[in-house]
Amino acid sequence: MLKEFLFDVCSAQFISGFEHINGDILTKYFQPYTDSFEKDKLGSYIFKSSGSNDTKIMLAAHIDEIGLMVTGILDGGFLSFTTVGGFNSASLIAQDVTVYGKENIFGVVGIKPPHLTSEEERKKPIKIKELYIDTGYTKEELEKKVKIGDIATVNREPLSLQGSVISAKAFDDRACVAVMLEAAKELKKISHKSNVYFTATAQEETGLRGAKTSSYKIAPDIGIVLDVGFGKTPDMPSDSPELGKGPIVAYGGRLNPKLIKKFVETCKKYNYPMQYEAVPSRTGTDTDALQISRDGIPCILLSIPLRYMHTSVETIDLYDVEIAGKAIARFINELDNSDLEEILCF
Amino acid sequence: MFNSELMKRLSDCFGPSGREKSIREMIMDEIKELADEITTDPLGNLIARKKGNGKKILFSAHMDQIGLIITHVDEKGFLRFANVGGLNAKELLGLRMVFDNGLEGVICQEELKDKEKVTMSKLFLDVASTDKEFITRNFHVGDMCVFKTEYYETDDCVICKAADDRIGCYILIEALKAHPETENDVYYVFSVQEEVGCRGAKTAGYSIEPDLAIAIDVTATGDTPDGIKMDVKLGGGAAIKLMDKSIITHIEVKDLLTNLAEKNNIKYQYEVLEFGGTDAGQIHTSREGVPSGVISIPTRNLHTSGEIFNKSDVEECIKLLIAAAK
Amino acid sequence: MFLNELTELSGVSGCEYEVRNYIKGKLSEIGCEFYVDKLGNIIAHNKGKKNKNIMVSAHMDEVGLIVSCIDSDGFIKFKAVGGIDQRVLNSKVVLVGENNIPGVIGSKAVHLMSDKERGNSIPIDKLYIDIGTSTKEETEKLVNVGDYAAFKSDYVEFGDNMIKAKALDNRAGCSIILELLSQKLDADFYGVFTVMEEVGLRGAEAAAYQLEPDLGIVLEGTVCADMPEVDEHESSTLIGKGAVLSLMDNATIYDIDVVRSVAKIAEDNNITYQYRRSTSGANDAGVIHKIKNGAKVAAISVPCRYIHSSISVASKNDLYSALKLTKQVIIENQKGE
Repeated sequence: MLKEFLFDVCSAQFISGFEHINGDILTKYFQPYTDSFEKDKLGSYIFKSSGSNDTKIMLAAHIDEIGLMVTGILDGGFLSFTTVGGFNSASLIAQDVTVYGKENIFGVVGIKPPHLTSEEERKKPIKIKELYIDTGYTKEELEKKVKIGDIATVNREPLSLQGSVISAKAFDDRACVAVMLEAAKELKKISHKSNVYFTATAQEETGLRGAKTSSYKIAPDIGIVLDVGFGKTPDMPSDSPELGKGPIVAYGGRLNPKLIKKFVETCKKYNYPMQYEAVPSRTGTDTDALQISRDGIPCILLSIPLRYMHTSVETIDLYDVEIAGKAIARFINELDNSDLEEILCF
Repeated sequence: MFNSELMKRLSDCFGPSGREKSIREMIMDEIKELADEITTDPLGNLIARKKGNGKKILFSAHMDQIGLIITHVDEKGFLRFANVGGLNAKELLGLRMVFDNGLEGVICQEELKDKEKVTMSKLFLDVASTDKEFITRNFHVGDMCVFKTEYYETDDCVICKAADDRIGCYILIEALKAHPETENDVYYVFSVQEEVGCRGAKTAGYSIEPDLAIAIDVTATGDTPDGIKMDVKLGGGAAIKLMDKSIITHIEVKDLLTNLAEKNNIKYQYEVLEFGGTDAGQIHTSREGVPSGVISIPTRNLHTSGEIFNKSDVEECIKLLIAAAK
Repeated sequence: MFLNELTELSGVSGCEYEVRNYIKGKLSEIGCEFYVDKLGNIIAHNKGKKNKNIMVSAHMDEVGLIVSCIDSDGFIKFKAVGGIDQRVLNSKVVLVGENNIPGVIGSKAVHLMSDKERGNSIPIDKLYIDIGTSTKEETEKLVNVGDYAAFKSDYVEFGDNMIKAKALDNRAGCSIILELLSQKLDADFYGVFTVMEEVGLRGAEAAAYQLEPDLGIVLEGTVCADMPEVDEHESSTLIGKGAVLSLMDNATIYDIDVVRSVAKIAEDNNITYQYRRSTSGANDAGVIHKIKNGAKVAAISVPCRYIHSSISVASKNDLYSALKLTKQVIIENQKGE
């Protein structure tokens, strides 16, 4: 089911600021395991699973993805564009894209052929400004279909690699939306006392904006933030977290040490494999917004190891997603049966 | 009709970020008869309200302008400074600056081998005096100064300083004068400290808790020789912002402004700005979030002593703002 | 036409099996006489009125990758087969080996890059294919050194009569020859599907040796750079402006009388054509015209944007022009006295 969900949700676009268009996919999968649904005003999706006590636990994983935005319609049917969120321009070369204009328009991002490009020119870094979407239309026809400000995404069908390893665009951070789905499913089985808010936040990639507004709306007692981490590849240090070895628990200045301790204890108790990383200060995730919402929210941060972040071939191991979901459900169960106030007391 | 007299006074009035007293008083005087309620908040935002029982709408234009803050005064009449807001050391040499008390100086630079490598610390303000007593009496660390430029206009365009964002203030004032019959509860906010991080808008957005927010600010254009690539141009009408570094305009606000423009025959253009931000950036993430957008005035030569805008664009912006208030 | 199916097959130089098998199947369906030579070229013969010996050729192979080594964590290192621009490899899906094992070529996260690294292309020796395994042993069960990898890219029709696919260079040419053979013209010619063009015009040389043509017509997908910020004189060809006639490239100076006669045939038949305004690149004509006693050659091409990448783009109108022109050239040349 997790794979089916991920393939579905990664086949749709949720570019930052445009998360409202394909929300049905989320409600379809989350509603069977949750009791109510609402949105904040920036478009974050909040699925609530009600409990019997007053404690509010917020899970946050961002639904938005990086994308492209049209800035100009040019002669010959080309579109100039800028990015929504951080792209490496080199990863856009020679990709298929869909432009969401009046209708969906197919296009490609091409570059001048090597035959006509000097060695020197080929070695120069490419800037987004130097790339264009080729739509195959004339400018006149294109102007009827596309307007400045329309968005575009790279086309990439999700792909199964060997074992439980899968590849797609936007696993950052839908892998973690899948973690929430797994946790929701598990919690349904083992029941819980706290009120759990599964929040698919909007506009993380453009500045943690949805996490700020949704956490204000929910005003939770604790936050469990889920994002992707850098999985080990040949060009990374040898001690980097690896795919298939469990989610990554973050230790660091912006995270609540006692909650982390409790979480790690839970994982050990139930034999869930974990990897660890030190994040001294800024986490670059929704945690940074959650932690300072209203009067402050104690947070932990869990990451799913992912290779090739912010490219169209982000790669993860489903095993890590499943383990993370199950561990979070157990963690909430453990919290329900302990004195949360004592845990949070310094 | 463009009110040149008002625009000139707005542009000439002193008010760098954090020192908005003079400009606030001037605007207050201008609008005191027009609003149902006028308040000033702890940061210094000026908030004029037109009461209603309907939707809460916030319009925001910032009063502050970029400038310099004096960091050191020596007895020979040379003042050292740092920038307040986005100013580039390379573009300052020779500019005349003016203080709130009307005194002036000119920006000079130390003798440099490589003139390209100029930084703020190599520049100084010469206040044209050798009188030690005069200097120490009139200039203090912490004083701010702004560009001294004369207001100039042609039939269609204006050159002035601080068009960013006094032209936004102008639009708010003119819209307030023509405030339409409406149930809406409308707040006209003249905000402070935009140039240093939209700080005034943050607190105003929190305290007002609007249902809809629209900032009115200047934007760059792509219509100058070898300029930035951008589809916005002078004379192209009100620019409806779709994205900048601080906000992705809410779809419903984009649709609202577009439909209002279409319906009322208001000339408009779409704007995607690849840098910068406005008050809307702060307001839209306030509390649970506020659907927000920006109406921009296309302006050339931004953050210099001579910013250029088109008077007919301003008229279109006023019309669009009034339509949005309704 | 056959282009849809042809472009979705893998056929990196030296490993043209899928393409060859497909074409052999089609030739049998058409009922055309053919044989496969020692290098793997398919030589088909359309019998008909004959004035001279005409060889129409197009290469089956495409640029791609070859596995060079499998590292201890199961990642696959590779080398380029043919002229692959390293810039087009970032963030692509490829199919590895005869069993088409899916893999991805990723890139370090942009977050971990220095400002200098961003936007830079990564040299091929720093790239690798990830098939989702985590040890050398696991990968070796599925992939061997020497296996080929080809881009995975769907055939898409879009815009104004445009096509996007991989390997339009030169499945475009293959599909034109198949189409000509299926039309059963009463004009004699050999339709040759060559191998290993991208690694040095290997197949064509052996094929021309066997056929000793009087006239060689090479069909190609050719460079086209009619993009923003490229001046027209630098764009080589323009998409949508018809079949392309070559005058000179790195391997051939085309016989000017032949070129002019082809141009005249185009004009007489209202076929849109253009000249190739670049002398870079080379094609099978380079070896055909120098074989034995020598031969006259012409090259008729279809302009392809983003050639040698996974997303080459061509116009159906241009394909049709190239087809019509080739057909007329054959017919005119076989009109006996």
